[in-house]
Amino acid sequence: MAEKEVLLEVKNLKKYFKVDKGIIRRNIKYVKAVDDISFKIYKGETLGLVGESGCGKSTTGRTIIRLYDVTDGEVIFDGAEIGQMSEHELKPFRKRIQMIFQDPYASLNTRMTVSDIIGEPLDIHGLASGQDRQMKIFELLERVGLSKMHASRYPHEFSGGQRQRIGIARALAVDPDFIICDEPISALDVSIQAQVVNMLEDLQNEFGLTYLFIAHDLSMVKHISDRIGVMYLGKMAEIAESNALYEKPLHPYTQALLSAIPIPDPEVTRAKQRIILEGDVPSPINPPSGCRFRTRCIYAFDKCKEIEPELKEVEPEHFVACHLMDEKV
Amino acid sequence: MSGKLLDVKELYTSFYTHLGEVQAIRGVSFHLDKGEALGIVGESGSGKSVTSLSVMKLLQYPGKVKSGQIMFKGEDLVPKSNKEMMSIRGDQIAMIFQDPMTSLNPVYTIGNQIMEAVIKHQGLSKSEARAKAIEMLTLVGIPSPEQRVDNFPHEFSGGMRQRAMIAIALSCQPDLLIADEPTTALDVTIQAQILELLKELKDKVNTAIILITHDLGVVADVCSRIVVMYGGLIMEEGSAEDVFYNPTHPYTMGLIKSIPRLDLNEKHRLIPIPGTPPDLLNPPTGCPFATRCPYAMQVCVKEAPKFYVTNEGHRAACWLLDPEAPKVETTGGVKRGDK
Repeated sequence: MAEKEVLLEVKNLKKYFKVDKGIIRRNIKYVKAVDDISFKIYKGETLGLVGESGCGKSTTGRTIIRLYDVTDGEVIFDGAEIGQMSEHELKPFRKRIQMIFQDPYASLNTRMTVSDIIGEPLDIHGLASGQDRQMKIFELLERVGLSKMHASRYPHEFSGGQRQRIGIARALAVDPDFIICDEPISALDVSIQAQVVNMLEDLQNEFGLTYLFIAHDLSMVKHISDRIGVMYLGKMAEIAESNALYEKPLHPYTQALLSAIPIPDPEVTRAKQRIILEGDVPSPINPPSGCRFRTRCIYAFDKCKEIEPELKEVEPEHFVACHLMDEKV
Repeated sequence: MSGKLLDVKELYTSFYTHLGEVQAIRGVSFHLDKGEALGIVGESGSGKSVTSLSVMKLLQYPGKVKSGQIMFKGEDLVPKSNKEMMSIRGDQIAMIFQDPMTSLNPVYTIGNQIMEAVIKHQGLSKSEARAKAIEMLTLVGIPSPEQRVDNFPHEFSGGMRQRAMIAIALSCQPDLLIADEPTTALDVTIQAQILELLKELKDKVNTAIILITHDLGVVADVCSRIVVMYGGLIMEEGSAEDVFYNPTHPYTMGLIKSIPRLDLNEKHRLIPIPGTPPDLLNPPTGCPFATRCPYAMQVCVKEAPKFYVTNEGHRAACWLLDPEAPKVETTGGVKRGDK
């Protein structure tokens, strides 16, 4: 296999949100939503990002596309550091990185027609005008399984699945290289989810797209991703090729997460050995010292409290942040 | 009287909106035995939640039960007044909702909300009720219940709120617990905790459960019998094994094929169900699934199929099961011993 080309590299990315308190808005605390994570995304692949609510997976996506400012660290896209760029410098990259949002009801402007919604990125980047623009919009609509006659309608006239298609058409309008899909199917019905996922896969093959697929539904993430990163409380716990992650999860959190998912097969799911985690995810304002997962981990020992485990390559392309790995070695 | 705890017969429920009558449920019949766990599966708009609200008589204006019977312990609930229902609700039938954040009252302590039910239905004194509240919180696995009983809902996490909801629902030892998407708003590791709790309590308290969900994995785990709903009608009903391993309705087959399996390794393409669900403002005269069904025949559009029983307790509403229907090779269902 040829050497894989890195499209996006995230180095020690941090995103803290201020929590202001009191009359003079003194800055008391920070929510460490994303706290020092690093990973790479190769050209043409899909990297899945999973974790429970509050683990920082969406914040990671939004920080990469610069919807949030980077607190610290680097975001390197195709060799250029975009994490600290000004809005002006960023514009050419905006064309290359696009995003699909979770809520198809909130991410489309209700007062714009479909044609305006899809046309807007074309106008902003000056890609097409007049007849060309119209043709391009029709083409995009057809590509996502809608038709020309939908162009003059408003978002409220569409179902959830159709709206998500409009959102995808808008993302595709600028011919991006990289699309961040932030829970693109969570708001859709089961029978519609498969339609959208298949379409995303087709588009990837056709246009050679690279995806960062953020979701909490591990079954779907495993289906669509080449590699998966598991996040917990702002940290990357494990990152590996998707089958390897399922077959041989090494981090105790990944093991618990995988075992918690019910399988749609009565005999298999009832025979499944579950690791039921105790308690809830701690607050990201005051995360536990050392390993963030130690408060719920059944294997936790003294070292976990004192030293934060680093993300290490335990097997080829299989990175884990857990002290147990050193013990075994 | 048979051993049936709940027997819903030919239930029709509609919402009279300014656009016209939305026929949310169009003739649904099912039953539930004592201590049984029944799963109702369907997508949004299939009528699964409206079914449960009809049973609880909690339909809001403009919703109304048009006709049908809801026999609970041999008595019909449909003609009952609101006052009569108030003595049944919470006492004999309890319900937990999807969103524990909005279904708990934010200005009362958790303890108060549990005590309210037992004081009203069981006539306990305040101190007895408080002891009961602590006992219930212990039962649902809330740590240090003596302190937690005086907490307000905002001091609880999502999973703990759902546990508190379950504590309230089970405080009067109801015969029937209706759980409407109880884990949809929760994270998977918390979902696993709650499902484990429901399974455990079902045996401990001997409550029958109706679990309403869109997640096939959840029903496979908890329920022994499954009802599949679509477009306000029941499409298929049977034991969990029947429905998963041997589905006879194309909708059930489609649903199973459209979801990825975490435990299977082959990378195959998902097989989606094309199209979108029917509009219940103008429900189709024939089978509601006909427009999306790969096996649809002319008769499917013209006339709604009746139920065909394929084996004991397993029935489906599909013309393909008619003896006169052409034999088609249908594929679907989970292969037993896959993996």
